[in-house]
Amino acid sequence: MGEVILTMKDIDKSFPGVHALDHVDLEVRKGEVLALMGENGAGKSTLMKVLTGIYKKDSGTITYEGKEVEFTNTREAQDAGIVIVHQELNMLGHLTVAQNIFIGREFKKGIRIDDKKMNEEARKLFQRMNIDIDPKETMSKLTVGKQQMCEIAKAISHDAKVIIFDEPSAALTETEIEELFKIIRDLRDRNIGIVYISHRMDEIKKITDRVTVMRDGTYVGTLITKDSTKDDIINMMVGRVIYEDPKTESMVPKDAPVVLKVDHLNAGKMVQDVSFELHKGEILGFSGLMGAGRTETARALFGADPIDSGDIYINGKKVTINSPQDAVNNGIGYLSEDRKRYGIVVQKSVAENTTMATMENYMKGLFIDKKKEKEVAQKYVDSLATKTPDVDQLVVNLSGGNQQKVVIAKWLTRDCDILIFDEPTRGIDVGAKSEIYKLMNQLAADGKAIIMISSEMTEILRMSDRIIVMCEGKKTGELDISEATQESIMNLATREIE
Amino acid sequence: MGKIKQNPFVKKVGFNRIVLCFVLILLYGFFCVMTQGTFAGIDRILSALNYAYFLGFLSLGVTFVIATGGIDFSIGPVMFCCALVSGYSLISYGVPMAAAMVISLIVGLAFGIFNGYLVAYWSVPSFITSMASMNIAKGLASVFTKTQSVSWPQSAAEGGWYRNLVKMGDIPTGLIIFLLVAVVCAIVLNKTKMGRYILSLGSNKEAVRLSGVNVKKWEMSAYIICGVLVGISALFYVSAYTTVQPGYGDQYNNEAIAGCVMGGTSMAGGLASISGTVIGVFIIALLQEGILALGFTKDYQLIITGIIVIVAVFSDVLSRRRKN
Repeated sequence: MGEVILTMKDIDKSFPGVHALDHVDLEVRKGEVLALMGENGAGKSTLMKVLTGIYKKDSGTITYEGKEVEFTNTREAQDAGIVIVHQELNMLGHLTVAQNIFIGREFKKGIRIDDKKMNEEARKLFQRMNIDIDPKETMSKLTVGKQQMCEIAKAISHDAKVIIFDEPSAALTETEIEELFKIIRDLRDRNIGIVYISHRMDEIKKITDRVTVMRDGTYVGTLITKDSTKDDIINMMVGRVIYEDPKTESMVPKDAPVVLKVDHLNAGKMVQDVSFELHKGEILGFSGLMGAGRTETARALFGADPIDSGDIYINGKKVTINSPQDAVNNGIGYLSEDRKRYGIVVQKSVAENTTMATMENYMKGLFIDKKKEKEVAQKYVDSLATKTPDVDQLVVNLSGGNQQKVVIAKWLTRDCDILIFDEPTRGIDVGAKSEIYKLMNQLAADGKAIIMISSEMTEILRMSDRIIVMCEGKKTGELDISEATQESIMNLATREIE
Repeated sequence: MGKIKQNPFVKKVGFNRIVLCFVLILLYGFFCVMTQGTFAGIDRILSALNYAYFLGFLSLGVTFVIATGGIDFSIGPVMFCCALVSGYSLISYGVPMAAAMVISLIVGLAFGIFNGYLVAYWSVPSFITSMASMNIAKGLASVFTKTQSVSWPQSAAEGGWYRNLVKMGDIPTGLIIFLLVAVVCAIVLNKTKMGRYILSLGSNKEAVRLSGVNVKKWEMSAYIICGVLVGISALFYVSAYTTVQPGYGDQYNNEAIAGCVMGGTSMAGGLASISGTVIGVFIIALLQEGILALGFTKDYQLIITGIIVIVAVFSDVLSRRRKN
């Protein structure tokens, strides 16, 4: 472990109504991987935004390479050698790999852009990283994993001395994560300081040297990774015991009626001839790699995307679903993987989001009965333990886990019998995750039928009664939880790929 | 966690609107001083109000459209189209006054349905739709009136009672009707299902759609409300000025949109204020009256409204950026 390259000391930052960072310390050393952990809303992102000049700190000092610094924008931070690899990929799909990497600082030949030189430089960069990507390839044709590699290459090309990875593995498959780790280790060996933000405990153990934990905007402490256990870290993060209850056998009675039957469903390229049944009280896991067509199947079933052919039966009766409206009227609710885009209206309040799907129940003649609306919203805030000052709070101000609870509340008010959870815990911290799990189990026990799409193997194995595996738009297998293992699922998930 | 204390009155009314009221008063003071006091007095105010009525209805209408995240550049020409078609029917075909007024509303409604249907059901960008219907409105009015201007009857003439819309004796009926309609608009926008869905879909249409809401219907309804208000606007225009010429009306687009965005309605959709729009419209109307009183031509007003639109939209963008 090398010398200290970056120190953040006593960093304080308040937003109206929120003390986001309360005298937080952080120390990054050359040639080490520092994990920054904490629940959502703990202040990790805010701290990184203060570092890279997106937010201005209220007080505290940042020392970088022995000098006190204060960046006023990301460009300045970049030029000094501090780069963030974002969770969401900021790539332009129609440009080539090399064009993306050198965007904003293209090599020129006179007034023309020198694509040849950019390709050459990009190739050198990939060689250095020891990965195989063609710089001339169009970005949108790469897998998510490869795109992430490009993002990292872009970071390195800035001659970075400190690289911050913000949940880089969220969208990657197991093998891609391995590849990512190889690159990170390689960067570490080249004396670069690395900050690794993640929620996944096993990754932290695998890749990091030290762990700094934050909770509710405060600095909790720093541990040496190899000297501490998973429980140590979790305890520091949440200060409470985590709910764990892996499933070993199906909780669904043998004679549970079929609530939903999907028969030879086709919708575009990503949904080819998919058939399955869903029982009352069942959690049906959908596993597969990125782009396996799970979300597309759910969206087609929900009427969000058009269906080409196939039949859908609910409680034995054939139904026509051409729009989300039809689906909702047939008792289907859909919780999208992308809450911000498809789940919530961020500029509206908790109460308004809660009643979004059931407005007609809160009318007094022509007018909205705001009192009743708030009462119902409050009821769900209480029963789901949603953390919000009050139901008038705008949803944009809540953390990911609490936003998810608002979306769940929306469907609970609708009293849907079939709920589709698409990546229900993506971007949600450990504590809130187990609450969501508990809730899903409760819903299933109450007789709701749940489809759960998840890319996290542990989640699939912990929650599902039965698992359907998809690959490249086709259903490749169906497993009872008692016979499912990581290996058997992976095997099915890669069946169509040579 | 400390909460920022905010004066409950300021919170309720909105800081933006309080500032706008001061702007309105200061502007009036400014014009009075610059004209050595000749601007003061009821005549100028009444004249500015005449302008504010028809513009106000346009602005209220476009507020609904902008709340959905759309835009309507056809309101001015459609308003003229309403006034011309109904006026020509009145003068040349002898349609009774009351029926002519209904025709004006129907023409506005028709354009509202047309715009709304294309935008909501065919996903044609509202910018394009409204540009197209602007030209259709102008062309239609010219064809219908054979490119003649139309003069609605004077107060004393037969059917002249319609002018009571603006002023009945000493009672400013126009002001009363305008404020009443504004109150109805505010209730529709803030207290009804329609308003809730219009604002929500302006903020995140896909999330609302995936909640099982018929977003197309609600999006279209915003354009229909706008269309009817444009039809009403036409009646107040002729009631104040009696004569309408085909081929015009574009300038009112900008003024109506300026009043709306100045009042705090966000061009990005999802955020709209009727009271803001009302004050914004009064400011625009006062400006045009003041500029004429100072001896400048109408052209200067075009420049100033242009600048107002840019400043208002830019400040909205700024405040959005700060929130993120």
